[in-house]
Amino acid sequence: MSSTADTVEREKNLQGIGCSRKRKEDPRFIQGKGNYVDDIKMPGMLFADMVRSPHAHARIKSINKEKALALPGVHAVITAEDLKPLNLHWMPTLAGDVQAVLADEKVVFQQQEVALVVADDRYIAADATELVEVEYEELPPIVDPHKAMDPDAPIIREDLVGKMEGAHSKRLHDNHIFTWEVGQKDETDRVFETAEVTVKQEMTYQRVHPSPLETCGCVASFDKIKGTLTVYITSQAPHVVRTVVSQLSGIPESKVRIISPDIGGGFGNKVGVYPGYVATIVASIVLGRPVKWVEDRIEHLSTTAFARDYHMTGELAADKDGRIKALRVNVLADHGAFDACADPSKFPAGLFHICTGSYDIPTAYARVDGVYTNKAPGGVAYRCSFRVTEAVYLIERMVDVLAQKLNIDKAEIRFRNFIKPEQFPYTSAFGWEYDSGNYHAALKKVLEAVDYEGLRKEQAEKRARGELMGIGIVTFTEIVGAGPSKTCDILGIGMFDSCEIRVHPTGSALARMGTITQGQGHQTTYAQIIASELGIPSEDIQIEEGDTDTAPYGLGTYGSRTTPVGGAATAKAARKIRAKARKIAAHLLEVSEDDLEWDVDRFRVKGSPDQAKTMKEIAWAAYNNVPEGMEPGLEAVEYYDPPNFTYPFGAYVCVVDIDKYTGVTKIRRFYALDDCGTRINPMIIDGQIHGGLTEGFAVAMGQELIYDEGGNILGNSFMDYFLPTAVETPHWETDYTVTPSPHHPLGAKGVAESPHVGSIPTFTAAVVDAFAHLGVTHMNMPHNAFNVWKKIHELGLDKRS
Amino acid sequence: MQVKLEKVFPIDGPASNAWKLLQDIPEMASCMPGAEITEQIDDSNYKGKVKVKIGPATAAFNGDIEIKNIDPANHQLTMVGKGTDTKGTSSATMELTATIRDLGDGKCELVGVSEVTVTGKMASFGGRMMTQVSDQILKQFAANFSNKVIAMGDGAEAEAAAAKAAEQPKEVNGLALAWSVIVGFFKSLFGGKSTT
Repeated sequence: MSSTADTVEREKNLQGIGCSRKRKEDPRFIQGKGNYVDDIKMPGMLFADMVRSPHAHARIKSINKEKALALPGVHAVITAEDLKPLNLHWMPTLAGDVQAVLADEKVVFQQQEVALVVADDRYIAADATELVEVEYEELPPIVDPHKAMDPDAPIIREDLVGKMEGAHSKRLHDNHIFTWEVGQKDETDRVFETAEVTVKQEMTYQRVHPSPLETCGCVASFDKIKGTLTVYITSQAPHVVRTVVSQLSGIPESKVRIISPDIGGGFGNKVGVYPGYVATIVASIVLGRPVKWVEDRIEHLSTTAFARDYHMTGELAADKDGRIKALRVNVLADHGAFDACADPSKFPAGLFHICTGSYDIPTAYARVDGVYTNKAPGGVAYRCSFRVTEAVYLIERMVDVLAQKLNIDKAEIRFRNFIKPEQFPYTSAFGWEYDSGNYHAALKKVLEAVDYEGLRKEQAEKRARGELMGIGIVTFTEIVGAGPSKTCDILGIGMFDSCEIRVHPTGSALARMGTITQGQGHQTTYAQIIASELGIPSEDIQIEEGDTDTAPYGLGTYGSRTTPVGGAATAKAARKIRAKARKIAAHLLEVSEDDLEWDVDRFRVKGSPDQAKTMKEIAWAAYNNVPEGMEPGLEAVEYYDPPNFTYPFGAYVCVVDIDKYTGVTKIRRFYALDDCGTRINPMIIDGQIHGGLTEGFAVAMGQELIYDEGGNILGNSFMDYFLPTAVETPHWETDYTVTPSPHHPLGAKGVAESPHVGSIPTFTAAVVDAFAHLGVTHMNMPHNAFNVWKKIHELGLDKRS
Repeated sequence: MQVKLEKVFPIDGPASNAWKLLQDIPEMASCMPGAEITEQIDDSNYKGKVKVKIGPATAAFNGDIEIKNIDPANHQLTMVGKGTDTKGTSSATMELTATIRDLGDGKCELVGVSEVTVTGKMASFGGRMMTQVSDQILKQFAANFSNKVIAMGDGAEAEAAAAKAAEQPKEVNGLALAWSVIVGFFKSLFGGKSTT
């Protein structure tokens, strides 16, 4: 009979769910053995570089390639004129718009792609870009989205003139993209008219950029003999890229192979298909040789997908005790020159309507208007699930504004409005069905951990002395795991994901998924799921992703969808194998299936535990001794279409001290409690949370892509763009509760984005709280020393006695 | 990125000579360090180039200069210069109104009102320093201009000034420029008079 100690020992050996297994990826990364796109070398490979526009808005009068082509080593200079006969000078975006691959007659943002130069090496290509002579006629640019719909505003998209039926709604102006409304407008207006208290706050969520360490690039190789195209690419969604490339090029999808090798961070930036990829693929097809194109940091920050640029107005209606009755939101969304947002097709503002947050708000209405400006296209997640960061920022700021207006403590007002544990599953005013949550317990735990009362006391004393100390509280609800295909698709493909598992005769296994790791540790955590489900040690399970020739079709990794969707597919594929294994075990033990029970890594006969067959034994039998009528082998494929999103949540507290002479904000303490349901690898969760908090710190305290009035981008190098290192990054304290998702096979929810979504408003809340006693209700990010100093100066606080 | 500058520079020479120099476009342009007129198209249109060196990087601007207006009665000249760097990554426009004001006693002053607009990489990287850098460039211009006016006179002083004018650097040296900008910044920080 197997003892408890024996069971524990066997479980430990599996390194399954709940184990802080060390990352399998790290030995190769820390030894410089990673294999990134720029590491790919192919025989006869050429190099490409891009000629880009110095102007934000200008007409192209002429392009002269002669001097560039005369430079020895230059093979081609490709412009829109060359792509036109192939009908590849424009391409569809993920948001229902089109985007110029290479500028067609006009440039509409600075650094826009104008011509691709292909040469023997990187240096010749760079030199040749300077020899391409482009004559421009400058046009007035629009930089401020508030001016985009002015009657006399210059038209940015001449290709859309007269086309007033947009992808998502009627267009109200040539520079208007869409109006998107959700909720009950009339009912919300009525509640506001009769409410005891209302508050209103404008806020701008600045334009930022995820800036992963690895910039974007690809190596395209077209085999003229076989008619096959292979592309190594920095993509978070290789299968979607394959479909898009096939549709654009006319090459059958079976002859297109997309490989995402090691990816150096994505954060939403590597979801879309960029002009550089398309132009490089064309170059390879035309020249019949492999072509590599990898952008530099300036190109990356200037042209690849930015995030946010949301100009929001929030309003709350409440009773005098601070109980919220209604939420009203109006947003002006700056999408740049092409609408290249990466959102599920039906949601032009992503999942922004999660903006009722963790609160039981009976009535709500939101309207988002998207406009074109002469700025780079994009509008991606940046470590959040489709505009959830914006949504959480809005509601968390509004709750604070209401608390200040009513002079109610910022923790207390949250307790009064939380959705109660017994209300789950809870349907929000915007129609989302929250799967599970326990908000009261989470906030209570955090307040005790940081001695909230003590902090408020200290703050009162400091205020009396004229010192600036702030306490920020955020209790967010995330929505991740896109998504149910009834509501979510990308280019018409449902947002399911997939897993294929093969158990080999000797009991080890190979598994492939439609997702792709970019640093999240999938090779480690997927193996843990299979280990727990099949009783095969994690060490014996190989995980492969990113090669469309081998992996099953999937929508990729972004929006924290891997665990909610890919993880569920993996668990369910494993369960299919276990079901077959059970039949084989029954056959081997000559008992009925019903007489068997699962015990860590084996099936044993109920009441007679010494009679058992381990998974290793069953795997061997699967290839030589299966029950009559059963096909041999031990494999399974699962395509998992989730019934719902998952709703992770958390409670964060941040304490800041602000120097009233320099404006420097010191993060004294940051306490983050996250609840992501079942925890697969606590160490990796902690690592993801540290990363998310650090990126949140970056956004809140320093990141901004600034454009001047002429449309010049001023923040496009690391001279200006803030990327925190260990020196600037504060110390993080993490904590957790576990509220499993009822509909996920493992009870797990996504986690990597929660710390980003949750921390950004926490920093703002803390900085604003330091000035709250002076009537300040909001300050726009970034909270760098200069911006904070300006506020101090405006309030006259920096007078030396 | 746009900068507006209004500057007054004293010139130790007569207004008539200064006005004469101002209208001699190639000669006047050569007062700008690193600049030269390469071609005269007609009475009011010229082609020219400017070279700026910042550390190891050299940017060369090719451009067109148009004389918009010459007002002899008021000793006033208005011109527009437009240029693109030879690498196609930046461009610049300058609108300048220059006036010679007679102060009598053989002295005058040069009053310059200019609006400089820069786009592209130059704006991305140089934006923050533009006012200061333009300031320095104009100062060097004024010094050269003044020397040339003095050199139009007679005597030892004129010869010395002519020698100085001939010595001027062949291109705008960004590093030297940056240094004088930094010096200027610290002087203003510690209450010293700005170098202009």
